[in-house]
Amino acid sequence: MAEESTEMDIQSATEPESLPAKPIFKPLKAHEMSDGKVQFRKVSVPPNRYTPLEKAWLDIYTPVYHQMKVDIRMKSRKVELKTRADTPDVSNLQKSADFVHAFMLGFDVTDAISLLRMDELYVESFEIKDVKTLKGEHLSRAIGRLSGKGGKTKFAIENSTKTRIVIADTRIHILGAFSNIKIARDSLCSLIMGSPAGKVYSKLRAVSATLAERF
Amino acid sequence: MAAVKDSGFEALEKLKSTEPPVFLAPSSISEVARAASQYLFTKLKPHNPKSPFDELLVDGFDAEQIWQQIDMQSQPLLSSLRHEVKRFAKSPKEIRKIGDLAVEASHEGDVDEMDMDDDNDVEDDDDELEADESEGEEEEEDGEEEEEDEEEEEEEEENEGIEDKFFKIKDLEDFLEEGEAQEYGTDYKNKKGLSKGKNQNLSDDDDDYDEEDEEDEDEDEDEEDEEFGAFAGDDNEDADNLGKARYEDFFGGKKKETKRTMKDAIEDEEAGDGNQGTEKLSTHEKELLKLQSKIEQMEKANLDPKHWTMQGEVSATKRPKNSALEVDLDFEHNARPPPVITEEVTASLEDMIKSRIIEARFDDVQRAPSLPTKSKRQAKELDDSKSKKGLAEVYEEEYVQKSNPAFAPATFSDELKKEASMLFKKLCLKLDALSHFHFTPKPVIEEMSIQTNVPAIAMEEVAPVAVSDAAMLAPEEIFAGTGKIKDESELTQEERKRRRAKKKRKFKAESANHPVKKARDTNTEIHNTGNE
Repeated sequence: MAEESTEMDIQSATEPESLPAKPIFKPLKAHEMSDGKVQFRKVSVPPNRYTPLEKAWLDIYTPVYHQMKVDIRMKSRKVELKTRADTPDVSNLQKSADFVHAFMLGFDVTDAISLLRMDELYVESFEIKDVKTLKGEHLSRAIGRLSGKGGKTKFAIENSTKTRIVIADTRIHILGAFSNIKIARDSLCSLIMGSPAGKVYSKLRAVSATLAERF
Repeated sequence: MAAVKDSGFEALEKLKSTEPPVFLAPSSISEVARAASQYLFTKLKPHNPKSPFDELLVDGFDAEQIWQQIDMQSQPLLSSLRHEVKRFAKSPKEIRKIGDLAVEASHEGDVDEMDMDDDNDVEDDDDELEADESEGEEEEEDGEEEEEDEEEEEEEEENEGIEDKFFKIKDLEDFLEEGEAQEYGTDYKNKKGLSKGKNQNLSDDDDDYDEEDEEDEDEDEDEEDEEFGAFAGDDNEDADNLGKARYEDFFGGKKKETKRTMKDAIEDEEAGDGNQGTEKLSTHEKELLKLQSKIEQMEKANLDPKHWTMQGEVSATKRPKNSALEVDLDFEHNARPPPVITEEVTASLEDMIKSRIIEARFDDVQRAPSLPTKSKRQAKELDDSKSKKGLAEVYEEEYVQKSNPAFAPATFSDELKKEASMLFKKLCLKLDALSHFHFTPKPVIEEMSIQTNVPAIAMEEVAPVAVSDAAMLAPEEIFAGTGKIKDESELTQEERKRRRAKKKRKFKAESANHPVKKARDTNTEIHNTGNE
């Protein structure tokens, strides 16, 4: 009797049956992914950015809260970001944090917002002393060379490479796509090393032409 | 006259006694000289009846003027003297008479033909030393003077034809003798011929010549810069000139033979040991001596180190500086020498040029046609002003252009292109209007724009409106209708009826379109209809 049962079981198993349909799950929300836990990010505010933050607070708050659906608040000289239940994507929090951090570095809100909108944008920072050891007047001159008269060299690099550059004393921050950052960085390094602005311009012209051709 | 004579004579004496350099310095000697000249002048006066001056005027006159006076006196004197000389030539006996007279008279200091002769010789000079010279000559009155005068007269007679006041044969001969004396020896200085221009005592007589010559010869032998030292002692026989030189003059007396022959034979300066004391050498011996000297020379040259050109390989350090420039070096030239431009070459070139021009066959360099390349890409200008768009917009535009080119907003270059094309169209229109016979005007692009009936000035100016009442709209636009406007009170009954009927019809048409919703302000409505 037992054998029959097993045979029957086997037989039932070997019978061609339609496999159940694959289950389709909705993508996990950030909230669910972390098992209901809330994720935080904290961005400290440097003292020189405190006033600009106050002025541009609403411009920061609105896209983060409404478009990114990330909770944002300012507390004791820190900007805190927190995921909500309806935060659509895991990366939103990180993007928002990067956006706020870019603002703290010195970028404009309109420029930093591109971080929210595009994935492939990054911020790179380096110091002048990483490129060349300069002291005193040489350092000042190098900084002057980087910016140019009225900032025109910096703007030229920005416009031709589609990046944004912030020169904060001896630190340099570049915001943009990876290849563009590379080009901008090369131009800036050549300026630090001492090449004249005209030379950098000519290189930029060539590079921007190739960049334009690609698209 | 006597007082003058005496003073004049004293003056002459004084002049004669003064040293020559005193004449050059401005001193009181001029007074003395003037006195002496005056004295002489008056002496000569009787022989010159034609002269305008009775006496020489010296007070306040300068040398040139005094000289002119003397000259005026002496010119006719000379011609008369020539006459006298001719006369004497014909009859020499008369000379003797005059000569004796002269000897007698000279002591008294009277003017004679003697003095005349002296003065005659003297007056050719150009300075005031003439007085001194005549003085000098007057002193030699021993007898030699006569001889001198005779000789001078003779010479003058002979040379009358050639001579004039500029050229004197005697002077020429004296000059020549001077030159020869300088060249051959110093004896000629002592000759009598140099009476002019010298203040020496011409005390040499012919008798003294032999002694002097021998003395001079001894002196000359010590001098080595005379080639013809033999001539030094030449004047044993010849008093006058070299034309009568003889064998003994060159190869003179036997006691001086050796010295002279040694000088002749040996050409180099080894004449120091010339006191061999041997007899005169024969021709053969002379030749032998020559050969010997040549041999010695050659041996000496052989012993000396060679000239650098003969030394084989010579570097710059071994030869004197710039010596290679003086030597004609021969070495190969690898380059072709530049063509010598001669007239034929230039002529041929010019002919070729002319023919080419006539043919118009110029060998102009033509630019090689460049390959057709792809159109030049737009050189993107570097914009070094702060970009007005944020980075996000930049990427947004880029994305839009990539994905959907139709909706891409016009780029800066497109706008510029549009503007450029508009400008060009306007320009073309104007040009067409000017140039085409059948001109077609531009198509009217109807544009809608609202024009308010605001005074034009208000639109254009900041000035208050009350200033002008020029309206933006044209009168027709403000009021359209005929000029006959009647007031309500002027209307006749029929016209009133007509108006009312018209109004009713309009109202009905309007109310058919828009059903009246609310009660409207009839004033505005009527106003509107009135304007239509």
